[in-house]
Amino acid sequence: MNRALALALFAAATLPGAASAQHWNLGVFGAPQIVHSHIDGSSSRLTGTVFGGEGTLVGERFSVRLWYAQGNVAEKSDSGLDKRLVVEGEALVGLRATQWLTLWVGPTARAYTLGETSQRWLLWTGRASARGTLLPDRMQTYVELWGALSGSVGDPSAKAGGRGADAGLELRLSSQTPLWGRLGYRIESSHADALRETVESITVTVIYGFPQ
Amino acid sequence: MTRLSFTLVLGAVVSLSLPAVTQAQSASAFLDQGIRAYSVREYDGGAWLLRRALSVEGAGALNTNDAARGTLYLMAIEVARNQRDSALAAARRLVVLDPRMRPDDQSFSPQVIAVYQEARRSTPSVTIRAPGDTEIKPGSGVFVVRLGSTTAPEVTAVVTGADGRVVRNLYSGTIRDSVDVRWNGLDASGNTPPAGRYSIVVTPAAKDRRGAWTLRLPLEIARPSVDTTPLPPAPPDSLFRPERGDYKSAWQALIPGVVAAGAIIVVPNLVAQGEQASNARLIVGGTVALAGVAAFFSHHPGQRIPANEQYNHTLRETWKRNVAETSRRNADRLRGATLVIRPGAPSLTTTDTP
Repeated sequence: MNRALALALFAAATLPGAASAQHWNLGVFGAPQIVHSHIDGSSSRLTGTVFGGEGTLVGERFSVRLWYAQGNVAEKSDSGLDKRLVVEGEALVGLRATQWLTLWVGPTARAYTLGETSQRWLLWTGRASARGTLLPDRMQTYVELWGALSGSVGDPSAKAGGRGADAGLELRLSSQTPLWGRLGYRIESSHADALRETVESITVTVIYGFPQ
Repeated sequence: MTRLSFTLVLGAVVSLSLPAVTQAQSASAFLDQGIRAYSVREYDGGAWLLRRALSVEGAGALNTNDAARGTLYLMAIEVARNQRDSALAAARRLVVLDPRMRPDDQSFSPQVIAVYQEARRSTPSVTIRAPGDTEIKPGSGVFVVRLGSTTAPEVTAVVTGADGRVVRNLYSGTIRDSVDVRWNGLDASGNTPPAGRYSIVVTPAAKDRRGAWTLRLPLEIARPSVDTTPLPPAPPDSLFRPERGDYKSAWQALIPGVVAAGAIIVVPNLVAQGEQASNARLIVGGTVALAGVAAFFSHHPGQRIPANEQYNHTLRETWKRNVAETSRRNADRLRGATLVIRPGAPSLTTTDTP
């Protein structure tokens, strides 16, 4: 609760800075996903695709980023018993430490339904993302690493942790358009007691506006 | 100073404070008041008023006839004040200004006429008459002054600057009765002189031994402003493209690609230890690495870039053409500009001038 309050206060403090935004962008994406799920020693591998959207408001010093995805993953030898409806989301505020480095903090959540039951991961994360220019205003790369500051999973909730990474290439589709394309690789691993889930995605995103 | 004299001077002082637009009227008013002061024998005030009237220069100055009339009365006032030297100087000035104007014995005392006669005897009989304000096109127009003399002296006439430097020789020869001297508004080098104060100076030739004297006609030269276009500035460095690919930029493009590709391939092993990450990441990592390599070579490290050389050459040539064209247009405008010449009252100095 205290954490949520602190985050809300931090977001409120940074929003005016983000409000005087230098730019913003919106994107939609599709992401084939591979989920390695380990529960009490048994493992399963699920695949599927999620779709979603994202938006970033970039201020002079602070940024705000929202990310949402939804889709289905299922075991390959699908008997219909292990098909999951997946919902994921992030809400982050960032501090632009240098021109190429931004530090982020905020919650990331991943929930899925499994038959009648549902499972929800909530992790408070700290992130560092770096960008490098290959061709000015045409092509750039990015790498983002994150670790969980705290987290919980299930009901009743158990303490959870995790870490992840995201990296890829962003390419302006043509010099006359504000549309960019992104090819990214994303991996995150969450764990709690005898529970561990690793999610790998290859994201293909179309972005309107200059990516941060 | 008597009451009337005080009133005349006071009136003149008040008129001094009027705007410059009324300066021409003021010079005439000073002249009228000075002559009136002479007629009522208020000599001190009259001398002040006439000197004030004669000192006005430029557009508000008296015309030649009025200046001669003012000088005539000034001479008479100085005689009345027993200022013989001043009277003689005024008389000489009158001879130069207008040899035809002379004191008549009906209006002036014999002493005044005697001073004038003395001045005529001792003053070289050389006159200079100029038209009013004249606007000419340097090179093609002419400003004409007429030199007159009854003694056929050998003279030289030159245009001098405010510092006395000769700007242009105008005439060298004998004045038989009269001669028109023409100036086309250019200096000795064929250039238009800058605006300022000049003079046409007439002096006897070295071989003329009839005494040293200098006849001077002050000229005020103005050049109406001409609109010229500023030359276009040289294109800034930021507009030029590199003519040879540099390694620094190439490496700066390659490194982010390699780092991101490495992160994609290596980081999954750190993030999810013990997990068998899929090979899908190799596709993304490889793509990013290839993009970095492509970016590296797109900078043409160490190679000439003919397209950029051509671009820069065109940029420079376009700028040079624009400069040449603007310079040519400005020169045309300056050549077409006119010169306004405003002659003042001539003066004569002799070796025995007090």
